[in-house]
Amino acid sequence: MHATARVKLGIAASAVAVALAVTGCTGDGGSEKPASDPIVIGISLPLTGDFAEPGKGVQRGYEAWAKIVNDQGGLLGRKIELKILDDQSNADRVVADYEQLIGRDKVDLVFGPFSTRLVVPAGRVAEEYGMLFVEPAGAAAQVFEQGFKNLFYAAPAVAGDHYNHLAKHILALPADRRPKTAAYAAMDDPFAQGTAYGLKAKLEAGGITTVVNEVYPPNTTDFGGIAAKIAASKADIVVGGSQYQDGVNLIVALQQLNYQPKLAAFSTAPTNPEFAKAIGNKTEGILAPTGYTNKAKYPSNLEFVEKYKAQFGTEPEEDEANAYTTGQVVAAAVKAVGCAEQGECQKKLVDWLRTNKVETVVGPLSWDAQGRPQGAHMIQQWAGGDIQIVLPEDVKEAGFIYPKPAW
Amino acid sequence: MPSGGLLLQSVVLGLLLGGLYALLAAGLTLYFGIMRVVMIAHSAFLILAAYVAWWFNVRTGLDPLLSLAGTVPLFFVTGVAMQRLLLARLRPATLTMMSVLLTFAIALFIEGMLGYLFTGTQRRIQLAYSASSLDLFGARIAVVKLIAFGLAGAALLGLYLLLKHSRFGWALRATIQHRDAARLAGIDTDRVAGYGFGLGLATAAIGGTALALDATVYPSLHWHWIGPLMAIIVVGGLGSIPGAAIAAMVLGMAQSLLQIPLGTTWAQTVFYLALFATLALRPQGFFGGRLAQRF
Amino acid sequence: MRSVSKARVWLGLPVLLAGVGLVLSFPSLAPNPYLLSVGIVVLNYAVLSTAWNFMGGFTGYISLGHGALAGLGAYGTALLITKAGMPSFAALFAATAIVALLAIPLGFAALRVRGASFVIVSIALVLILLLVFQSWASLTGGSSGLVVPRPFPQLLRPEHHRVFYYLFAGLLALALLCWWLIDRSRFGLGLKAVREDEDKAESLGTPTFAYKLVIFTVSAAFTALGGGLYALWFGDLDPVFQFSILSGAYMVLMALLGGVRNLFGPVLGALIVGIGLEYFKVEYGNTPLHLVASGLLLAVVVMFMPDGVIPSVSNVFGRFFQPTRASIREVSAEQLREEARR
Repeated sequence: MHATARVKLGIAASAVAVALAVTGCTGDGGSEKPASDPIVIGISLPLTGDFAEPGKGVQRGYEAWAKIVNDQGGLLGRKIELKILDDQSNADRVVADYEQLIGRDKVDLVFGPFSTRLVVPAGRVAEEYGMLFVEPAGAAAQVFEQGFKNLFYAAPAVAGDHYNHLAKHILALPADRRPKTAAYAAMDDPFAQGTAYGLKAKLEAGGITTVVNEVYPPNTTDFGGIAAKIAASKADIVVGGSQYQDGVNLIVALQQLNYQPKLAAFSTAPTNPEFAKAIGNKTEGILAPTGYTNKAKYPSNLEFVEKYKAQFGTEPEEDEANAYTTGQVVAAAVKAVGCAEQGECQKKLVDWLRTNKVETVVGPLSWDAQGRPQGAHMIQQWAGGDIQIVLPEDVKEAGFIYPKPAW
Repeated sequence: MPSGGLLLQSVVLGLLLGGLYALLAAGLTLYFGIMRVVMIAHSAFLILAAYVAWWFNVRTGLDPLLSLAGTVPLFFVTGVAMQRLLLARLRPATLTMMSVLLTFAIALFIEGMLGYLFTGTQRRIQLAYSASSLDLFGARIAVVKLIAFGLAGAALLGLYLLLKHSRFGWALRATIQHRDAARLAGIDTDRVAGYGFGLGLATAAIGGTALALDATVYPSLHWHWIGPLMAIIVVGGLGSIPGAAIAAMVLGMAQSLLQIPLGTTWAQTVFYLALFATLALRPQGFFGGRLAQRF
Repeated sequence: MRSVSKARVWLGLPVLLAGVGLVLSFPSLAPNPYLLSVGIVVLNYAVLSTAWNFMGGFTGYISLGHGALAGLGAYGTALLITKAGMPSFAALFAATAIVALLAIPLGFAALRVRGASFVIVSIALVLILLLVFQSWASLTGGSSGLVVPRPFPQLLRPEHHRVFYYLFAGLLALALLCWWLIDRSRFGLGLKAVREDEDKAESLGTPTFAYKLVIFTVSAAFTALGGGLYALWFGDLDPVFQFSILSGAYMVLMALLGGVRNLFGPVLGALIVGIGLEYFKVEYGNTPLHLVASGLLLAVVVMFMPDGVIPSVSNVFGRFFQPTRASIREVSAEQLREEARR
């Protein structure tokens, strides 16, 4: 007993020493870099977990951007090097990741992660280290209410504005054709909810009654109960504030109940390339907002689509495009200011973006003081096994089908 | 006031869900009866079986139900091995606590390996009949849910017949009721306990395949299942299989009906409220016998 | 006896001081803020597993639900700041007091049952709180999470880490001191009697239920303090991570690994597991292999050294120094199994 107590202390103390040694060993990096060194960009993405699918899309977008820039000789004559960590869709990890990237690895620039839930904690780390933080996926209102001064959202519109064109179109229908009732189901996620509630607010103001309003946590897999409620309400239109898999599950559950609304709009899920297969090709008439179309005629988009196809063999989708846009926005600032490193330079990059417009694959972007982009999303619709832009009128590829055919 | 159609629909959904709960809770009860072990990894094996079914379907394109031919024997053997090689080697004095931790560790291991092999991406089997349904007095019953229910029901019935009407079942029940007396009566209780464990795990294989037909699976999903299942076995009375089955049907139905006024998330709390109420009012459970009172 | 005890102090004190010195000088030695943040995470683990060990170590009741108590401390602190407008540290102490009060009825329900049912209740506690905090979005922010205002908004991140490192170190010292005091009190003796044989202790006149309830409350209070301080440091709360069985399981793993009967057991466990986890996530970031490693480690501890590293190692040393020493509970697993088989 007595001998052991001393040993206890000894072990505890030597464990502290070992810990110091172990952690000390990993503490390299942070040396001065000559100008010819690559520009290292630190990124944390959800490559596993809840947001793994879009996370990988964002990764492909970043990689495509880095390759295209490097093939043209890099930025400021320096090659781009991406350092991507996996945050497992976990807020604790995303903070530790950016902490590691900025504090230990001394990356020159950071790009944002995916999903609002991860953007806010990550944005705070960047903010407190004084780093420019351009992000591809934090569209929800609360991202811009944190008082962040270094944050910019690299897409055309914030979540609440995604359905603006659709709301306008529905409310412009003649009274006898206009839907009377609507059912909403949204994931308890700031982005997904933001899209559905943006539309809900506008339709309610236009006199369309809400008959079902359900919120489900991100880990929900059984949608039988929610679908039963929606089907029983016989709502004219159904709106899903979804990410990917939850949207698929909800649609399948609704189809199992043979519910046939006049209009069905879901965020994110329907634009995923796997979507049609996942719901057994019963996609007829499903709507989705999108900030990007790979058929857009902006010069940088033609280049992006061509080179992306050469690199990955498929056409880029929205997640890829938003990531690419992030790269374009940061690159524009770096070129204009002429620097890319931690310290003073970051402030200059922020100031430049605050006052300038950037040409991107989703069109010209500019931001307000909180980092909100100033635009709206297009609306796409599935018809005959293909998804095409139907709203707004000036960019549409096909006519808007209403009421939607049976799915 | 919800419409009659919605009520009927919820009753049907509750019944289908309760069937799956009943099968899984029966497995958990079996372990507890045999060894006083709370098997945290039960739902992890459930998800593992669902993954095997999904992977089998993706790889071969055959119906995921066929994967049962592989998973059921495999899980049975795993269960026997787990009991004989791991759980039986723990100190009897601290068996209950340590077995919780050991099975917890197994659950973590399975979750981590699933995540490593298949990533955290949510998976769902795509079948030709995924979205088809039957009409029953205005309620729609999804074909996949019906198959899952049938599978659970058949497995439960098989388990019941095995326990009631076979020599092995007799030995197993004797072991559960009084291990020392069973040994005196000439039963090789160690072997029976091992087989009982294998049987419990085999129910997880069947349940997992049934689950995979109509649900999305991801590695950490098992935490979602273990809570309701543990509540069910306590409410039913630890160690009582009929009690667990009845509690599963009642609570599954309650969850489904409560979704109408409360929404999906709040409705799940019914399991835990039932658990706390049971412990406060009737710690031995509502259908349990002598056994439950001691734990 | 006396002289040995004195010798222990003389030999132990310098080692203890060296350990304290190392902990205190770590912020100056850490080459970058990231390592400092790892240091804070490890200290936080050490605080939580020491807090867990008030319950687990003294009474032998294994709670997998302490993650929920830490989560309550974190959310309590955050809500008192954001909704009631309290200053950060006042909110921390108020939240701790609230959790301690809540622990009384909780303990009342959980401690009525033993063994299996206690574990089930502790897990159920985590799961129900997860549901409540996810669903009650108007209060808790739901799945979107809750942002905790910074207690020191003017500090840059590296300084912010430094301040919190010392706060966590102080809290750990306080928890260790309390554990040490209880360990040598009459109260502590009564609790250990519960661990060895609850029925016998009760029949000998120990008020076991009251003792268990008190120590559960103390354990809950320290856990809530740890959780609340973490909330102030980290700044973002998400119900999925605040109310996770995994975080409760890590506390158990750390305490068991180090040794639940030793003052420094949980601290040692936190060092090993905390650094190990961080190492795994850095090295194998793309994979959930850290879960596999945690699972294997937990299984090894449970199967082969249920008394932890410290007793296993010190047994070896102890035999070397005092070959004739014998303790009351030196029963091997084999002997016990034989006994049960009898």
